[in-house]
Amino acid sequence: MTPTPGQSTRPERPRLRARTVGIAAALMAFSIFAAREVGFDPSTFWEVWSNPLWEKFWPIPWDWVFDSGNVLQPFVETFQIATISTILGCGLALPVGFAMSSLTTPNRPTYLVSRAVMNVVRAVPDLFWAKLMVTAIGIGAFAGAWALTIFSLAVMVKLFSETVDGADPGPLEAARAAGGRHAPSLRTGILPTVFPDYVAHALYVFELNVRASVVLGLVGAGGIGRVLEAQRQFFRFDRVLGMLVIIFVVVWVIEQVSVSLRKRLI
Amino acid sequence: MTAATQRPAPPRWTGERRGAIGVVLLVAMVWSISGLDVTLDRLLGAPSDAWAILRQMVPPAFARVAARGAVGKVFESVYIAWIGTVIGALLSLPLAFMAAHNVAPIWIRVPIRQLFNAIRAVPELILAVILIPITGLGPWAGTLAIGIHSIGTLGKWATESIESIDSGPIEAVDSTGGRWVSSMRWAVFPQVMSTISSYWLFRFEINVRASAVLGMIGAGGVGSELVSHLVFRDFPAASAVLALTVGMVLTIDTVSAAVRRRIITGGVGGDDSSRSAEALSDLTGINHR
Amino acid sequence: MIRLEDVSVTYPGGVEALRGIDLTIGDGEFVVIVGLSGAGKSTLLRVLNGLVPATSGSVVVDGTEVVGASAATLRQVRSRIGMIFQTFNLVNRTSVLNNVLMGRLSVVPAWRSTLGLWPAEDREAAMAALERVGIVDKAYVRASNLSGGQQQRVGIARALAQEPGLMLADEPVAALDPVTSRQVMGDLQKINRELGITTLVNLHFLDLAKEYGRRLIGLRDGEMIFDGDIANVDDDTFRDIYGRSITDEDLLAMGDSPTDGSEGG
Repeated sequence: MTPTPGQSTRPERPRLRARTVGIAAALMAFSIFAAREVGFDPSTFWEVWSNPLWEKFWPIPWDWVFDSGNVLQPFVETFQIATISTILGCGLALPVGFAMSSLTTPNRPTYLVSRAVMNVVRAVPDLFWAKLMVTAIGIGAFAGAWALTIFSLAVMVKLFSETVDGADPGPLEAARAAGGRHAPSLRTGILPTVFPDYVAHALYVFELNVRASVVLGLVGAGGIGRVLEAQRQFFRFDRVLGMLVIIFVVVWVIEQVSVSLRKRLI
Repeated sequence: MTAATQRPAPPRWTGERRGAIGVVLLVAMVWSISGLDVTLDRLLGAPSDAWAILRQMVPPAFARVAARGAVGKVFESVYIAWIGTVIGALLSLPLAFMAAHNVAPIWIRVPIRQLFNAIRAVPELILAVILIPITGLGPWAGTLAIGIHSIGTLGKWATESIESIDSGPIEAVDSTGGRWVSSMRWAVFPQVMSTISSYWLFRFEINVRASAVLGMIGAGGVGSELVSHLVFRDFPAASAVLALTVGMVLTIDTVSAAVRRRIITGGVGGDDSSRSAEALSDLTGINHR
Repeated sequence: MIRLEDVSVTYPGGVEALRGIDLTIGDGEFVVIVGLSGAGKSTLLRVLNGLVPATSGSVVVDGTEVVGASAATLRQVRSRIGMIFQTFNLVNRTSVLNNVLMGRLSVVPAWRSTLGLWPAEDREAAMAALERVGIVDKAYVRASNLSGGQQQRVGIARALAQEPGLMLADEPVAALDPVTSRQVMGDLQKINRELGITTLVNLHFLDLAKEYGRRLIGLRDGEMIFDGDIANVDDDTFRDIYGRSITDEDLLAMGDSPTDGSEGG
């Protein structure tokens, strides 16, 4: 039991375990190797400040930025892309999400296939989808909307199916016990429980989509990014910076609104 | 079961409210679609266009893209993500100690928090656009963009985990006459290190995707391969690059998630079990309870 | 030597934790402070090392004025005062030795302690402190793997590692079961006798206070109600301090169910 003072002896200082040392050394070696591979160059950190290009960032041409045709209209397009893809992606996510939860899936094959497909879809970065869609159906916001719809679906089903996994199975069991068919049972037994979370996730996905749609234009998929890319190619960094400020403010406002709405929902 | 109970009228406005939400959604859809210059034949044609390309993508031309060095490009994306994460982690850690309200005075924590917010608001891709004129095209631009952007999220997460520590040990260090640095090093750091390192890994998973994308604008990694094949409509090659990327992303996600689980459960204390859920809720801003 | 003159503490929000305390404690004394929770016991201890700043009055510890002292002076004063906490305040995720070494932070240069390069003599001091409380064999064990009683011993060792002239113990046994409580109180008593360290202990249990204390201070609503030899204390004294009759809950021996039995063995 508890020893009285003076009785216990000093232990050996434990040596670092070989495995710990090995892992640390391996991580170190990998980091050094990777740093060389990416051309790690700390001098950039101070050379950045003396770069003559900075002069091109200033002053911000506010009249150009606030001229409706230059920034406002593409920004509206960005919103349209984000809105339609959120609505479509999250709408589709409802049935797919149910299929992806072991609690609500209609059968095992549907469960496995939907999970596998959605994992792969989610592993493809959002702008890859955009580039694929631009190639398939042509440059423009239409392709961007398709890409973001797929991307929203992939993100939404993950969040939503996890919510369903954690829902109380009791009401669903009751609905099934009453002889309900699959879809109506889900509608009455599970949906009311998970719907607030569903809406909250959808708002989050909208936030993601606004952020993503800002950069879609860099690969030709419409929105504000198209203007950003064009101005960059003309080396009009002052205009780029002005647009970034606008983007920053808008994204920040949307995030604040979305976060406060989500807090109220959950 | 008294006879006096009456059937209540259904609550008013529920139906109306639903209808209103439906109308709002419908208007939003119509308004959005109106801006996408969709014509009926484009809308109807899109699925078949996509299907045609999908058919051309099978079978993927793995041998051909491998000969061009696509595998090396995939690894380059991993290196970019890794070094970017390391840069973000090393720079965000000290900043987080200056941003947490329980250990930092207000005059320093407010500006640093705002710095985190500002950085988070600028996507990596935009950072890379700004950096490329300075660093030139190549992986270093992408690495820096990811590193800088990671400071924002990693700093925010680390700040939050510092704010949730047990303050007892800080009081203990104060009572021995220790300095601020000492109390950070010995009272705070041991409490937060495992959580923060699991956040680093989580961020690495996100950065792997980001670095793949950065290649599309010439900031190094596999993205450039995909773009060049798609530009020449070489769909078998594009699908091979895509498959390699997906394989890499899924592998790293799986390994990293397993390591994170070990880091978290390796720590002691009952409150740790919820940490990975916390990481997710931090990422999404939603509480998964 | 500690001297408090007309010390008052008002917390932000207007709560008066201490009112006009005058007190002198000589070197090597063993003083027990009793009172209901909220009577100002914890505040009194923390005023001595400046963790809680006194709103008015004067606190002199070993010739140094604590009230209004600079940060450097405060660190200097605190380095000579060990403190033991009700909730131990250990860092659970690191080793016992690292916890005890925290007691050496005021004497080791910051860069050395930050890098973990503790000088040999400070390691020795930490080990010796662990030996004194009888758990040196646990030096390299994670603090979280210890029982409550062992954890409090680590807390004592951390305070001892400071080689203090004054020891403050804030309800050191409130989270322990009766048997362990007596062991920890015995440790404190031994330290006081063998090393001559002035010791102030906050206690809730009256029988423990009578068993281990030599001088008793009673606080009620931030005011000092009693100060004297423990031999002169009777039930009436306690009634004055507590404002009611003594119940079983005020006695450790009677409370078969410990307040918060976290002791495992």
